[in-house]
Amino acid sequence: MSPENVTATEPALRLELQGIVKSYGGVRAIRHADFAVRPGTVHALVGENGAGKSTLIKIIAGAERADAGSIVFDGVASTIASTADAIKLGVQTVYQEPQLFPELSVAENVFVGRELKRGLRIDWTAQADHMHELLGTVGLPDRIATVPVGSLSIAEQQQVSIAKALAGEATVLILDEPSAILTDSEIDVLFAVIRRLTASGVAVIYISHRLDELFRIADVVTVMRDGRTITTEPIGELSVRQIAELMVGGVVSESRPAQGETAGEVVLELDALSGADTFRNVSLTVRSGEIVGLYGLVGSGAGDIASVVYGIDRASSGRMLLSGEPVSIHSASKARRLGIHLLPANRSAQGSFSFQSIAFNITAGELKLLSRLPGWVTRRRERDIAREFIDRLAVKTPSQSSPLSSMSGGNAQKVVLARQLVKRPRLLVLVEPTQGVDVGAKEEIHRIISRLADEGTAVLVVTSDLGEVLRISDRILVVRDGEITAEFRPDATQVEILAAASGAESDPTKESA
Amino acid sequence: MTATTEHPSPAAPAAPPEKGRGLFSRALEALLTQRVVLLVVLIVLLLVGMSILDAAGVLSGSFNADYLASALISAVPLAMLGLAQLMVILSGRGGIDLSVGSMVSLTGVVFGFAYGLWGWSLIAALVLAILVGGVCGAINGVLVAYIGFPPLIATLATYYAYRSLALVVSDQKPVNSPVIQDFYSAAQSVELPLIGGSLPLIPLGIFTFLIPTIVIVWLLLNKTTFGRRLYALGTNNVAATWSGINVKPNRMAVYIASGVISGLVAVVTVAQFASARPDAGTSGNGMALPSITIAVLGGVAITGGIGRVAGIVLSTLLIVWINASILLTLPGNDGTQFQLLALGVVLIFASLLNGLTRRKYGGI
Amino acid sequence: MSVDERGVSAPAVRATARRILPPPVTGQELVLVGVIVVLWVLLGLFTPAFLSAGSIRPLLVSVAPIALIGVGMTFIIITAGIDVSVGGAIMLCAVVTAKSLVDFDLALPLAIALSIGLGLLLGLLNGVLIAYGRVHAIIITFGTANIFQFLALRVFGSSTVNGIPGTFDVFGRGEAGRTFGVPHSFLITIVIVAVAWWYLRHTSGGRNLFAIGGNAQAARLAGIAVQPRILAAYALTGALVGLAACFFIAAGTSTLDQAVGSGRELAVIAAVVIGGTSILGGRGSVIGTLLGAILVQTVTSGVTQLGWPSQLANLFVGVFIIIAVGTDLLRQRARKAS
Repeated sequence: MSPENVTATEPALRLELQGIVKSYGGVRAIRHADFAVRPGTVHALVGENGAGKSTLIKIIAGAERADAGSIVFDGVASTIASTADAIKLGVQTVYQEPQLFPELSVAENVFVGRELKRGLRIDWTAQADHMHELLGTVGLPDRIATVPVGSLSIAEQQQVSIAKALAGEATVLILDEPSAILTDSEIDVLFAVIRRLTASGVAVIYISHRLDELFRIADVVTVMRDGRTITTEPIGELSVRQIAELMVGGVVSESRPAQGETAGEVVLELDALSGADTFRNVSLTVRSGEIVGLYGLVGSGAGDIASVVYGIDRASSGRMLLSGEPVSIHSASKARRLGIHLLPANRSAQGSFSFQSIAFNITAGELKLLSRLPGWVTRRRERDIAREFIDRLAVKTPSQSSPLSSMSGGNAQKVVLARQLVKRPRLLVLVEPTQGVDVGAKEEIHRIISRLADEGTAVLVVTSDLGEVLRISDRILVVRDGEITAEFRPDATQVEILAAASGAESDPTKESA
Repeated sequence: MTATTEHPSPAAPAAPPEKGRGLFSRALEALLTQRVVLLVVLIVLLLVGMSILDAAGVLSGSFNADYLASALISAVPLAMLGLAQLMVILSGRGGIDLSVGSMVSLTGVVFGFAYGLWGWSLIAALVLAILVGGVCGAINGVLVAYIGFPPLIATLATYYAYRSLALVVSDQKPVNSPVIQDFYSAAQSVELPLIGGSLPLIPLGIFTFLIPTIVIVWLLLNKTTFGRRLYALGTNNVAATWSGINVKPNRMAVYIASGVISGLVAVVTVAQFASARPDAGTSGNGMALPSITIAVLGGVAITGGIGRVAGIVLSTLLIVWINASILLTLPGNDGTQFQLLALGVVLIFASLLNGLTRRKYGGI
Repeated sequence: MSVDERGVSAPAVRATARRILPPPVTGQELVLVGVIVVLWVLLGLFTPAFLSAGSIRPLLVSVAPIALIGVGMTFIIITAGIDVSVGGAIMLCAVVTAKSLVDFDLALPLAIALSIGLGLLLGLLNGVLIAYGRVHAIIITFGTANIFQFLALRVFGSSTVNGIPGTFDVFGRGEAGRTFGVPHSFLITIVIVAVAWWYLRHTSGGRNLFAIGGNAQAARLAGIAVQPRILAAYALTGALVGLAACFFIAAGTSTLDQAVGSGRELAVIAAVVIGGTSILGGRGSVIGTLLGAILVQTVTSGVTQLGWPSQLANLFVGVFIIIAVGTDLLRQRARKAS
């Protein structure tokens, strides 16, 4: 499946999208996208978080409708108004979040919506037969067929999702970051599956943040940035570095001015801390005035470390010390009492009180500060606090009584960040602080974080955004498969860090291309 | 009561002002997004319509202030339990309390025993009713908040259990005694001191039970940090946890509150019937269904986090006065039957409107 | 690669087919059978009359309509919905059918068709409002419950319908209503439970209900027509309510009073929940529902025969619900922890 092969045969396009535009509320998710996929190829789609990749594949999968633009399928202009339409055309999608039914068995999940039938009833024999094949294809043992999906590991669920996609007659298979949560050997299996599929003429759209692996599997790559498709090239024409530059737009990320030895006393110390099979033996320190970047790909366990520090999850062994004192934190309220605040990764699920006012959202974490009498809310205090933080964080809103749901992603993120700052934290943990945020707001949030550290707060940033970790950290720790595998200064290169995080040494021949 | 509409409550999303839109479209949006506005308009329409019918002389009685005031007697239990449902539904995660009627029956019987038969003072018996209601509510609260029962199931189970206990404890007979019969005076209509001469007689329960409950619930929801926590965990339970709110005790508290209010309603009901009936809250359709109807009509979102005291008060007035109007228009049995129709139609209308509003404007 | 390994023999494939089949009965159902057996034995010991035909037969007659409607309610709850309007719907179907029997002396098939047709219509109304109005099922059905009751009361006119002919005797009153001593209403219920069990276990339509209740969003992504399936579940329940209304008429003497159907929605939901169907959707079984109904009616009948206050039965129903759902919650928590 070399690039030359592709250009030589030049098969007709399986799927062609032109001039796609999509907005959510006032936010432009896709400004302009052109995208064309040939049968029998693996087409990689890359871009930073928020570049519009997910929205584009949702449009192809029928989960969203484009506001403008055309879709041509096998030379025929088509409308994909629903997932059922997409499935009819042979578009199968494996989402990052497995779309499975936890109570149902693996076998049932695989065939849901397209059961094999004999007369009225499901043909269990045919399904078992087919099941045996599918499980072999994705590398799962036969006995797993009867297990409820809810009791499988995330990696196994992903494999089930792929088996489910294969059970339909796929002509286009979309894989949304399939490798993020897989181990190296599981990735090998995945790639074998993909090659077999392309050999039979399936077009595969492959989304990944692990740039190095694209050179092992992809034929063509399309780069997206800020809601636009920037370029489409055969993979051989590009290097890791070139793709990375296209993704970030050639902007060289400036690092935060070196703090050197100015950082103060140790605020947080983790001593051989382990979580329940999410991370192992993690030791680290964060000093006051220091920003420590914890970089890891999705599923690396970096986010789980943050959850344990904040008392949402429990550690299974090891110690945690706060300013030298051993602490045991088993709830977020305890963590906050100790001065540990956390900005959660998933804003809508973990951070937003969406239809409540901005003032409500800002003050929700520190209700005690609203009280002159214990337990009573003084509206003036609420107004004052809200106004102060709307100003300090430059939140753009007509009124502090507007609902959070009316705001753009960047402004909403600032509001949830403000909640962590109402009372000055000793330790601020930020998990994916700029996910789904536009470029301008991202800059501002980075400046706010820097300023906090300069004022003496200890900051731990957990992120899967390479540019971000390089830009704002004083020290970078890389988490891979639940362990801290490397430490870097902020003058390290993206490629070094990515290599440490993905575990795959980048191919030197590609690197020099 | 007017105070409820003065401050925007945390649950009332104020849409950003937009220029260049017609008065009509803004009025329409207010009507659809502000449930309080819709309810006021409906009440005014009802009153105007009925006054016209009254003037035309087609009603069986006269539709005047005295009649409307006397109709308020049925607003007392309805609005109080509506407030209980408000708090429970606000707490989210499928919050609902099917057991309120059974708690009314059970605490009513206990109150009847204490006040009517054991010779307790009114205050002591009242405190006992509140305590028993609180314990019943706490059982619901533990099941829901700490063990993780779906509220519908937990309160369905306790609906059966409390209802059964009320009937078994009382041997299926109303608790009666001269003291309880005299207690009927607590349900009488009274003239207000000072300005009362120019006003119609108003049922006493409005002042002794309903208004204090409204004020306390309003203060709890709008003026206390507990209210903030409640709106927070009802809006997004996970985000509340991540904001450092202990969701379990706060969720449990609303079920206790629902039990306490049921205990108070039980005392009101004993006064109204002049006897402690063991099926007071469960006969016919019971009290749970109407109170949930009141809450939904009052703009409480069944998914939690949205709802206001003013909505409950106004929706109660609407339902009570619709019922009173129906009785004047269709006397006798017909009237009570058409009250069922009105309740059902208004409920479905209100909930479809909630759905429409959510799609059109986002939020409620 | 698996193609090369396809030397699998036919019996082996059949064995796999059996293994990927959803289990025919669940642990909870076996426990319920155990509880019912123990109760019957105990009741038989303390009140020997309990195990007589004269006591068991009315028990089965009272189980039939609850279990029958429970089948539809199980379908609905599997989709993560609920229907609290069945009490009102029973009342309306029963009074319309009873009146028609009195006024027009309808033939049996016509009367059954009328009742089922009317029930179907009521179910369709619920289903349309819930599936397409995007309003929570409990709110809609609270509302329609009132409307059904209103309509029923209008038809009643006076408080009872009197002089109902014995057209429905075939469902269980007297010798004509029994085969091998078992009331026909119960036999019909058993047949419908069996068909529903087969449908839920062996057809894509049935399996898709579980998918919808487990994760409606994922079901939509998998191309399942979610809304029509939900609509169908409510329509089915309506039709079964229509048939159950005939049982209620048959179980009475020649009169029907306004209490018919009152509170039945909660009895049905209790039976479904005790039977192991999760109110959150995605899991459930009609056999469990049948067993739940038998358990509830056994307790009701047992309490009276023991000479205890009859209202004590509801206390046991409440306790059963808490035990049934509580053990399930604890089991899930244990599974998650491991």
